[in-house]
Order: sequence, then structure tokens, then C-alpha cells
Amino acid sequence: MDNTSYNFKKNIIEVQNLTKNYTTGASELEVLKGISFSIQRGEAVCLLGASGAGKSTLLQILGTLDRPTDGKVFYNGEDIFSLNDESLAQFRNQKMGFVFQFHHLIQEMNALENIMLPALIAGDDVSASREEALKWLEFMGLSDRSEHFPHQLSGGELQRVAIARALIKKPEVLFADEPTGNLDSANSQKIQELFFELQNKLGLTLVVVTHDMAFANKFPRVFKVKDGRFA
Amino acid sequence: MRLNFWIAYRLLFSRQVLFGGSAPLSFLGLILGVAALVASMAVMSGYVETLKTAMTDITGDLQVVKHGKLAENWESFSKKLKEQDSRIESMMRFGYAQAVLARKGQVSEVLFQGVDEAEFKKVLNIEKRVKQGKLQLSADQIAIGTGLAKKYDVQVGEKIYLVVPLATPFGSSGFKRQSKEFVVTAIIDFGKNDWNQRLVLGDLKALQLLTEIGDRFTGAFIKLNDRDSANETAKNLLERLGPSYSVMTWYDVNRNIFEAVVIERAVIFLVVLLIVIVAAFNISSTLYVFIRQKYSDIAILKTLGLSPRKIRMIFLSQGLIVGAMGTVIGIVLGYDLCFGFMYLQEHYALISGSVYKIDRIFTEVRFIDLFVIGMATQLICLIATYFPAYKGSQLEVVEGLKNG
Repeated sequence: MDNTSYNFKKNIIEVQNLTKNYTTGASELEVLKGISFSIQRGEAVCLLGASGAGKSTLLQILGTLDRPTDGKVFYNGEDIFSLNDESLAQFRNQKMGFVFQFHHLIQEMNALENIMLPALIAGDDVSASREEALKWLEFMGLSDRSEHFPHQLSGGELQRVAIARALIKKPEVLFADEPTGNLDSANSQKIQELFFELQNKLGLTLVVVTHDMAFANKFPRVFKVKDGRFA
Repeated sequence: MRLNFWIAYRLLFSRQVLFGGSAPLSFLGLILGVAALVASMAVMSGYVETLKTAMTDITGDLQVVKHGKLAENWESFSKKLKEQDSRIESMMRFGYAQAVLARKGQVSEVLFQGVDEAEFKKVLNIEKRVKQGKLQLSADQIAIGTGLAKKYDVQVGEKIYLVVPLATPFGSSGFKRQSKEFVVTAIIDFGKNDWNQRLVLGDLKALQLLTEIGDRFTGAFIKLNDRDSANETAKNLLERLGPSYSVMTWYDVNRNIFEAVVIERAVIFLVVLLIVIVAAFNISSTLYVFIRQKYSDIAILKTLGLSPRKIRMIFLSQGLIVGAMGTVIGIVLGYDLCFGFMYLQEHYALISGSVYKIDRIFTEVRFIDLFVIGMATQLICLIATYFPAYKGSQLEVVEGLKNG
């Protein structure tokens, strides 16, 4: 398919015939089987599916954390996998934010330092990064937790710090892989509401992987993933 | 670069890494290796410096000797020397004679060094080496080394006999015996074991009388205004004076020893460096384990936009930090070892004077040694950490996130 047939002005992500195979020993496992779709700028999209359906793999490829076996992903019209690892890392830092089921905060750094990391990686001024991180802590209601280390924070607080870290560089797309999977129902509700609040407030494009039907029902657009294809 | 060091520092100073498992022992090994290097190099440098100081104190910066026969006219000899090189600060004539020391029924062979009583304090630096008595030389006053004093149980103010055999065409034996009684005015630590055991310092006139050589002398001891220019000055003098003269520096007199020291220094450096190498590779294996434990953190750092190259730099920075810490602490410990060595020398005979020429070494920590040790340690730590760093940088993000 010719690239020009896509509406790159409107679509932030274009996926063409994406396949992903994993080789385990002698056998080859086909996880994604030729998926094509597009996501509009500012859209909130949910990838729903059972465990092992391939939804996390799809999110990781969309987030450039893994490379596809075949097919292409265009981001604002640019074939992102034509970039080398160095450029891809920079691209991720500038354009994408990530939240996972586990917070993946660095244990040796406090909440403030964890949030500052993407800005520091981008080479931003330390004091400006600190100011920005403090703003995000305040937004998340964690101002009094800035010096706390991950082991001193609750599950909900950890996930909010992780979200603040994902957003400090003002990404265009926020990828979340089972972001509420490790939380109790009260905290899960709060985080879900926070995602939509952020999407509206910042005009974020939101791509969330979940197997939680109730969460998925809140999205205007849901892709059901089954056996490596959209059902 | 600052970010790499910051992340490396924060990850490194976690309890699991630098203070957990076998890491402290590996780090201690590195410190001990550096300390051993510093101390051994300081001892080697100190050995050279101690020997050099002894030589220049007792025989001046340069010795000029006329080949074949004794020099005769000091006025013309000294004038000729002075005209050759402006770096000559002062000079004096000296004489040597083989003699036999006799006291209380015991005899031993000694070397009688006669110096110009009026001039020697300007050229030589012997007074600071006096252990007992006051350095006074005259027709019947001499000074002896600590070894001789101990061997013959001589105290300051006591008398000894010096006996010199002189060749003579008369008589059936072909030689005659000349002897003189001297009062010992000072007992001196000459700095070299063989000198302490056999050197006797006296007035040149006394030597000339005893050996019946008139006003003749062996050569001149020279003091330079720039001690470091001894080699150049010696070369210049040799060229200008011609082949009938011999000009020797402190290095030339002990050339064999100093050449051996250069080789020994290199061998000791390499052997002791092995401790650092082993310690560095222990740290490398600790880092492998650390990277294994930190898969999740590496994955998230990559997710946040750190490239594989920067991840590699973070772990190499850890190698640099560990190397720098090991070097600094090792140098401090090495200094302490040097002080300990000096202290032990005060109380115990650690060095055999008969083997090493001197029985006491002043340690000398040179900047160049510290620089080479520091650079070598850093390089080894960098090489040792490169492999785990490379492995960490090649980690697949997806694999790392699963480990979380």
C-alpha cells in the first residue's frame, strides 16, 4: 500500500500489515498476524484481549520497544523502524510515554528523581527538570512524597509517580500496558479516571492495553485482539 | 556524560552492589593492589634516592680523576676545570688510599678518603650524617663509619691506627710499612653499607703525609649549582678535558645497581599489577550479577529513551567510579604502608646492607608513579567492566520488563 493513501495529518499512527514471530527452539510462534490499523491524534484507544492474545506485543511494537518481524509502523508519516537504535531511543524520549502494570520505578532514586529521569535523559536543564517534576508531583497530589523512595510509597502512589514520569516530556502518545492490573479496585478507578482526565487536558493520544472489560468499555474505540489478529 | 555518572553513581551505591555480596571483598582487593603498587614503587624510588643522596653527600655531584697517575698542581687543575663549565659551583681535591685499620689486636682493610679540610664543607654534605661527635679533620683527627665503630667498639675521642704499605725499591720485601695514630672525632652514617664498614674520612694532608705522595691528589669532587644537570655537565667536561680524564656522576659509580633497579621496578610493577587485574575482574563478575539483577531498570531506562550506547556508558562509568575510588583509597593506604615501613625500619633490620648496599631506605612517593598507577588501574577497570557493560546495553527491553 502506498504511504500517500494515509491521512498523516489526522492520523498519528499508521500500522501496515504488522507481523511478529518469536522463535522458540525449533518452532516459530506467530504472535501478530498481519495487523493494519490507524490511530488519530488525540484519540483514546483500547487494545482488549485475553492473556497471550498479542496485545502487549502490539503495544511494545507501537512504542518502538520491539521491532516487528514484518510490516511497517508510521508515526506522523515517518517509518519509525527505519531509524537506528540511537535515533529510536531519542524519538521515544521525545514523543512517547509509557506506563506498565508494575511501576518499574528505579529503587535507588526517590519519586522526584524518577520523574525527572526522562527530562535529564533528553539533556534538559536540571533545575528546570526539577521544577517540572515538582509540578507533576503536585498535580498527582504527591507533593509531600517527593523525597520518598519507591519502597516507601503505596501501590496507587507508585503508579501515579510512574504516570508523572511518563508525562514529564509532554509526549504525543501515552502507552499503558495493564496500568491498573496491579491495583485494588479503588485505586484502579482513580487511575482510570486520571488517564481520561489527562487525555482531555493535554490532548494526549492514549493507547491502553487491558483485559479489564469495565475499563475497556470507557474507551470510544476498542480493538479486540484475538490470536494475533483484530477480532 | 554528567547524567551517565549520576545514574551510575545512584545505582552503584545501592546496598546490593557496593556493599552487598562479594563486592566489598573485590573492592578491597583493588584497594590493596593499588596500595601495594604505591608502596613498592615508593620503596624502589626511595632506594634510588637514598643511594643517590649518600653518593652526592660523600663524593659530590661529580668526581673528576686523572687517568694513570695522581694529579699534581691543584691551582691549575681547579682553574682548568672551572673554565670548562659554568654549572660548577664549588670543588675540592681529594685522595684515596687503601689502608689497614688496627685496634686492640684486630685489623681490617679500610679505604682512607682524604678531603681538603678547609673546603670539604662547601662541596660535600657530610655534617648532617654525623651520628656521634663533631666533624673535625686534621693531621691526627679522623672520622669513621658507624659499621667500623661498632665492629671495633670505637667511641668518639678514642684512638685507632692506620697502616699503609708503601712500595720501595729498597729492602728485600719491596715495601715498607707506614703507620699513624689518629683520634676519632666523629662517627658517621655514610649512607652506604660498604662505606660504613670500611670508609675512613680524614684530612688530605694527613693522607699525603701517610702515603708520602707530597702535594699530589687523586682528583676533584665537584658540586654543581644545578644538581639535575650532572649528566650533561659530566658529558661536557669529558668532551672538553679529553680521554686522559675520567668524569663520573653518582649514577656512573653505581651504574650496575641503578640499571638493575630500572628492570626490577618494571618487573615488580607488573607482578603487583596482577593483584589489581584480578581484583578488577572480580569487580567485573560482580557487575555481571548486578546487571542481571538490574534487567528491569536497564529496560525502563531504555524505554525512557536511553540508547544502548548510553547504557554502556553508564556501566563503564561505574567502572571508572570504582577504579577512581580504589585508586584514591589505595594511594592513601599505600602512603600509610610507606610510613609503616619507615617505622619498622627504625626498630628492625628489614634490609640486609650487605645485599642492597644500604641498610635503610627512605620511601619516596613520586607523582609520576601515582599517575601511572592511577591510569593503569582505570584502564584495567574500564576493560574489566566493558564486557558486562556491553552485555547490559544489548538487553532486549521486552525481556527486561518481564523481569520486573
